[in-house]
Amino acid sequence: MNNDSRKYVIALMVLLVSFIFTVRLFYMQVIDDQWKDRAAEISENKVITQPARGVVYDRNKEKIISNVVYYDLRVVPNQAVGIDSVEFIKLVDMSMEDYVKTMNAARKYSKRKSSEFLTQIPPDEFTLIAPELYKYPGFFEVERTLRVYPKKTGAHILGYMNEVNNTDIERNPYYKSGDFIGRMGVERTYEQQLRGQRGVKYYLQNSIGVETERYENGKYDTLAVQGKSITLGIDWELQEYGERLMRNKLGCVVAIEPATGEILAMVSAPSYDPNLLVGRRLGENYLQLEKDTLLPLFNRAAGATYPPGSTFKLIMALTAMQEGVITPESGFSCIKSLVGCHNHGSAGSVSDAVKMSCNPYFYQITKKIIHQGKSSNGFKDAAIGLDIWAKYVQSFGIGTDLHIDFPGVMKGFVPNTAYYDKIYNQYGWQFETIYSICIGQGEVLVTSLEMANLAAIIANRGYYYYPHFIKEIEGEQIPEIYQQKNYTMVDSQYFAPVIDGMWRVVNEPGGTGGRARLDSIAICGKTGTAENFKVINGKRHQMTDHSIFSAFAPMDNPQIAIYVYIENTGFGGTWAAPLASLMIEKYITGSISDTTKENRILNANLIPDWSDIQPPKKPRSQRR
Amino acid sequence: MRNQSDNIVADIDWVMVLLYFLLVGLGIFNIYASVYDPDHPNLFDQITQHGKQITWLGVSIFLGVIIMLLETSFLKKYAYWFYGVTIVLLVIVLFMPAVNGARAWFGIGSFGIQPAEFAKIGVALALAKYLSATDHSRSRNIQSGLSIIPKFSLTKLPLPALMILLVPAALILLQPDAGTFIIFTSFILVLYREGYAGNVLLFLIVAVIIAVVTLVVAESSFIIPGLKIKLSGKTGIVLSLITLGIIFYFVIRSFVLPRNRGGLYKALIGSLVVAIIFVNFIEIGYSKILMDHQKTRIDLVLGKIDDPDGEGYNINRAKAAIGSGGFFGKGYMKSTLANENQGHVPMQSTDFIFCTWSEEWGFAGSFSLVLIYTILLIKMIIIAERQRSDFTRIFAYSVTGIFFYHFMINVGMAIGLAPVIGIPLPFFSYGGSSMMSFSILFFHSAQIGCRA
Repeated sequence: MNNDSRKYVIALMVLLVSFIFTVRLFYMQVIDDQWKDRAAEISENKVITQPARGVVYDRNKEKIISNVVYYDLRVVPNQAVGIDSVEFIKLVDMSMEDYVKTMNAARKYSKRKSSEFLTQIPPDEFTLIAPELYKYPGFFEVERTLRVYPKKTGAHILGYMNEVNNTDIERNPYYKSGDFIGRMGVERTYEQQLRGQRGVKYYLQNSIGVETERYENGKYDTLAVQGKSITLGIDWELQEYGERLMRNKLGCVVAIEPATGEILAMVSAPSYDPNLLVGRRLGENYLQLEKDTLLPLFNRAAGATYPPGSTFKLIMALTAMQEGVITPESGFSCIKSLVGCHNHGSAGSVSDAVKMSCNPYFYQITKKIIHQGKSSNGFKDAAIGLDIWAKYVQSFGIGTDLHIDFPGVMKGFVPNTAYYDKIYNQYGWQFETIYSICIGQGEVLVTSLEMANLAAIIANRGYYYYPHFIKEIEGEQIPEIYQQKNYTMVDSQYFAPVIDGMWRVVNEPGGTGGRARLDSIAICGKTGTAENFKVINGKRHQMTDHSIFSAFAPMDNPQIAIYVYIENTGFGGTWAAPLASLMIEKYITGSISDTTKENRILNANLIPDWSDIQPPKKPRSQRR
Repeated sequence: MRNQSDNIVADIDWVMVLLYFLLVGLGIFNIYASVYDPDHPNLFDQITQHGKQITWLGVSIFLGVIIMLLETSFLKKYAYWFYGVTIVLLVIVLFMPAVNGARAWFGIGSFGIQPAEFAKIGVALALAKYLSATDHSRSRNIQSGLSIIPKFSLTKLPLPALMILLVPAALILLQPDAGTFIIFTSFILVLYREGYAGNVLLFLIVAVIIAVVTLVVAESSFIIPGLKIKLSGKTGIVLSLITLGIIFYFVIRSFVLPRNRGGLYKALIGSLVVAIIFVNFIEIGYSKILMDHQKTRIDLVLGKIDDPDGEGYNINRAKAAIGSGGFFGKGYMKSTLANENQGHVPMQSTDFIFCTWSEEWGFAGSFSLVLIYTILLIKMIIIAERQRSDFTRIFAYSVTGIFFYHFMINVGMAIGLAPVIGIPLPFFSYGGSSMMSFSILFFHSAQIGCRA
């Protein structure tokens, strides 16, 4: 049998093929994981149940943020045949260009699986779409909950949400593309508490993506957990009222409950309806708001630093007394050659000086703080004295971190020795060089939150709680930091003369804040009128003064401390003082006795006209 | 031949019977898992594929018993008749309505019969009868004691034998059914064993290598290192072949006795010319003759296309199913891809049945199945070699070749080593025609075995 040996060749071929198959199978099934991953990708899928976000209440348990069902429109491309696209785009209000683009993207993703077509259609728009939807096969809706702001106010406090970006996802792996995240305001601060925990259901799918069974009998599934509800210290009625009063004005109002540090209202004008930044038109509306030259998106209360003007004098008086350079009964004459002043009688005490807001008085007492004779050299003396002064100012929270539970809070600026050394060289300056700081001008800058806190400090006679928005968190303690008292460097005994002066500002003839007077409530206040400049095209223009009022009430057992700042509207007593009194009255009594006063404010359009100069540039300090 | 029909039970090759029932049994339970329908959970439900497969098994066993009772001489006697009938069927089927683009089926109710499956049996019988009747098989390679390495001379296969192969092959191509056509090349193994096609087999192996290289490289271009000359892939192959030729020339000049050189030089030049012509033929054949979907299938195996959700959908799903099985598999009826309910793997009860098995039983299962087929094939070779008559040996080798091809291509396709060709895995894939034809072939082989 001459060909017999060939049987071995054939047998060998069989064995070789079997050997190759075995090696290949071992590699594919045991060593290489790519097919396991691929199989999972093909056959497994999950549905994510987005948790309802936590509800936000105000201090009176009024719902200020809740959830509403919005609709996403999805499409299965190979079912969407014979669509009258012209009619369809009219129905859902989109451009033909977008329609074609979205449809092509969906087709590219998968012809058999559904893709997002149009997202976040508000319920009122969807009620018009839903009855027509049967004409368009392949399109179907999916519910999703979004935020709704029933009060339409407090946009700056509440903030807004939008889709997570890559940075968010990198920072916190909880977030997946397409998730929403609190971007500003309390939505951002309390994101973690509000967002809840998403639920996941894993399932097996067939080749057209239809669920066939639960994955591992639901072993890995989780239920969605609703976000925690939180309660803010905000009094929503007061907030709304504040926004109404500030309509057609630029500036801000901050009110704090002195006994707790809870922020009662924070108005920044102009504002906007927070509902504008919800849903599919978010981007469009945001751009619109961003283009507005009055900067409605900018939160002036937390982010703007302003010169405090005369309201700053209160700290001078308190510091001087604590340092022992004056007594409450010290009098100084109104020497207008030192610093300009208005006409008034001579101030024979701290109380008088506060009441009349006498510039030379505060010039002289601040000089006494800074030049205490600790060095025989006047320049060295100023250097030592200014740092003492700066420490005092900072002990009132000015220019320091107030630990406010809010994003984008700026700090004021308190100049110290090192700062002036840089400008004028070491020992190249003394009080006369820098005297504007004593009346809250010059280099001093504050935020309105800091100044409202100052009013609360005075109301408390020497201490404060860090201002904060949070009042309660469901099932959680509010941070301890908000429950501890912070003391200033001034003893409480020195507050009485200042408070007396502040009462007289409002309630005595000749006081600068008479327009704030109320029959029913003893308001203590201090006016401020801040010179300000705008540099436009390299030229420094003096603008109309800012109108400022700092106050608390009632004088004994204070319930509210407030700071009102109205840009470019002149003397503090004219606009800021009456506005502050309306807020106080509203908060304490719940009603307004003097409607003439109210109407005067409501009807005033105080938006400055810059048309004779140039459109305003965003101030340097107004960075977000 | 012994005449022991009175003691046929004692003569039965029980290993073969065991292998048969093992494969068929595993096959039916695997089909059950593959197409399980909760509305028809009964294994014997005739609406289901497993139910029908059991019916086909019954028919097959009936045929098997008849075959076992038949005398080999009867088969030999009617070999041409059987062949003739299958040819007639292959002609008639061309006038039947097309199913899935091929005129390959006779429909009988919900059952279908594929004459091409039976044509294989006819060809095996006819070829065995013709070759055993001629004496070519003995005289061909007589000059050499060692004939594993074939002589480089064109083997002259008798024309009638060639016709026996080519007529049904051509008819099947007309259906068209490329898969079954390819199975016909399995007869080259038989011819090789019988001393005819030694060089053809070697040619085939070299040709496959050259073809693969050509298809992979031909369309690309490269730059010769050092020189800045850009060449097409085809030129590169031709240059490589010429370089190889020159190397062989020097090898021959250095190591072969001068008197033997002449013939080798001729052979060298001849094969070089043939190879270069072949390269061009492959390139043209690939681009002009093959249909688009066939090109795509080849490109997928060669890795020239990567389109897991489009062109490569079938093979991607098949590989994912098998690869995700792991070592011990996902468990019986726990496949997540290769079952009808999930529907990710196409034709998972027929052409891609190996996927269900491998996904559910893992490497442990897939290796066992490969092992069972290997044992079966080796056993078939042993049976064939045990034959004293040329007719039975040739027939047994034909059966072995057919089984081997089906195994090689079906499994190779599922694991991405062969292009997608729709041919069944013997005894495992669902299908009446294949079940019957494989059974007939198998029982022939077994019957021959017990009478050797």
